[in-house]
Amino acid sequence: MIVVKNLRYKYPKGKDYVVNGISFEIREGEIFGFLGPSGAGKSTTQKILIKLLPGFAGEIAYQGRALSSYTDEFYQDIGVSFEMPISFSKLTALENLQFFQRLYRRTVDLEPLLKRVGLWDERHKKAGEYSKGMKIRLNFVRALLNDPKFLFLDEPTNGVDPANARIMKDMILEFKQRGGTVFLTSHIMGDVDELCDRVAFIAEGRLREEGSPRDLKLKYGKRTVKVEYRENGELHTQLFPMEEIKTPPFFRLLQEKEIETLHSGETTLEEIFIKVTGVKLRD
Amino acid sequence: MTNLKTLIRGEFGRLNKYGLFKANFVVLLLWVFLAWFLEGEALLQFIPFIFLMDSVMMTILLVGATLFYEKKEHTVNSLMVTPVTENEYLLSKVITNVLNSLLTVFIISLVVYLLKGVTYTYWQVVPAVALVTVVHTLIGIRLSYGAKDFTSLLVNYMVYVFIFFLPPVFGQFGLFDRSVARFFILLPPEASGLLIGSAFAAIEPWKIVFSYVYLALLSLLLFRFVVKPQFMAYVMRETGV
Repeated sequence: MIVVKNLRYKYPKGKDYVVNGISFEIREGEIFGFLGPSGAGKSTTQKILIKLLPGFAGEIAYQGRALSSYTDEFYQDIGVSFEMPISFSKLTALENLQFFQRLYRRTVDLEPLLKRVGLWDERHKKAGEYSKGMKIRLNFVRALLNDPKFLFLDEPTNGVDPANARIMKDMILEFKQRGGTVFLTSHIMGDVDELCDRVAFIAEGRLREEGSPRDLKLKYGKRTVKVEYRENGELHTQLFPMEEIKTPPFFRLLQEKEIETLHSGETTLEEIFIKVTGVKLRD
Repeated sequence: MTNLKTLIRGEFGRLNKYGLFKANFVVLLLWVFLAWFLEGEALLQFIPFIFLMDSVMMTILLVGATLFYEKKEHTVNSLMVTPVTENEYLLSKVITNVLNSLLTVFIISLVVYLLKGVTYTYWQVVPAVALVTVVHTLIGIRLSYGAKDFTSLLVNYMVYVFIFFLPPVFGQFGLFDRSVARFFILLPPEASGLLIGSAFAAIEPWKIVFSYVYLALLSLLLFRFVVKPQFMAYVMRETGV
């Protein structure tokens, strides 16, 4: 759906390229996670993809056509949810949404959306009086009000309580099931792991790694099985290469010992993030 | 066009919700109150002053206040990822302010007619006020985007008043030599005052023509080379996704 080739970008007053020759593809109907530490070029790439930053080098095609050749029809197709709460504070939530709704040709019924994210009863409250979590949910609804084909979500569940975060994640997955495509950034690796079909890691303006969470976990993980068992009151650990789990010593251990835990050496996206980008997650 | 209508409707809605209409109305009442005490020639001199103050000073303040809120709430980020274009966004600001200034013209004209029976050449007032408001909306946007916060916007506003508004006023009191004063027509508020004043008193035709051409040209140049690039730079800075 979006193909990026050798994208490079330097801010007008900047000396170095913030995005330095990255290439990737976001396929129709997938959730693509774009991950990286602050200042890695992630935000700049997003701004370029939503046509807020002109003057880039390289090629970007949306549905087979150069992104720069699109005018308002591109914005009819996409929905963007920003990380920071953005709304006209002295307008009610409903007034905010209705104002934006009038800018689109195709729109959806707001009632089911607002009910789903738990804002329907508070729709006549001024957006400025909303809590941070409510404002984020309002951002999310605004991104969906034009029935988009493509969603750009920046930290969509950051600052949202677990119950509402679950609802929003379900809505993202349902959007995908209906054929929608999502470009997602998040520091919550649990969300990324759960939602994304593929992820790309960016650091210092360059793509460091790309693939499905499963493939990356296999690539960066250890092909081992760790067994913890108790013997004479003491805890013991034994490590088996994956190739040896069909051999008698492994089976004997399972049969004869009091097994407490059994772990594969699979790694987590968080560990891959740190390994690939060289930066620790702060939140 | 549909977007422009929606944006203008939104602008008026927000002027109301953010209390800026109320502030505008209070100033309007003050003008009406002052006009109440004036008669004849004095009133006919005061009315163009009201229109000038409204289309120059109030316009800059109103556009400054709306942009201040937009900056504070980062709402331009959301607008720029909708089908709204930069031109539509900026034009909506200009048209809203023009309509607002014309509303003042309508109310003041109605009040002075009903209370004092005073009339003037309305067909000259309307285009003059509209053009003056266009220029000063653009100047207001320029001053706002050049300001870090509301205080620095007010400082910019005062600097503008000192440099562009006060010299012609002092000129009327003979504080400037004639050879200097004749160039005051190049100052936007002076050209604006001439245009609006032409509906109330005889003004040399070349000055009227010059002021129209000058202010129209200034609007185009400001829009194309100052306001739009500055807005684009602002969007680039502010739209952190």
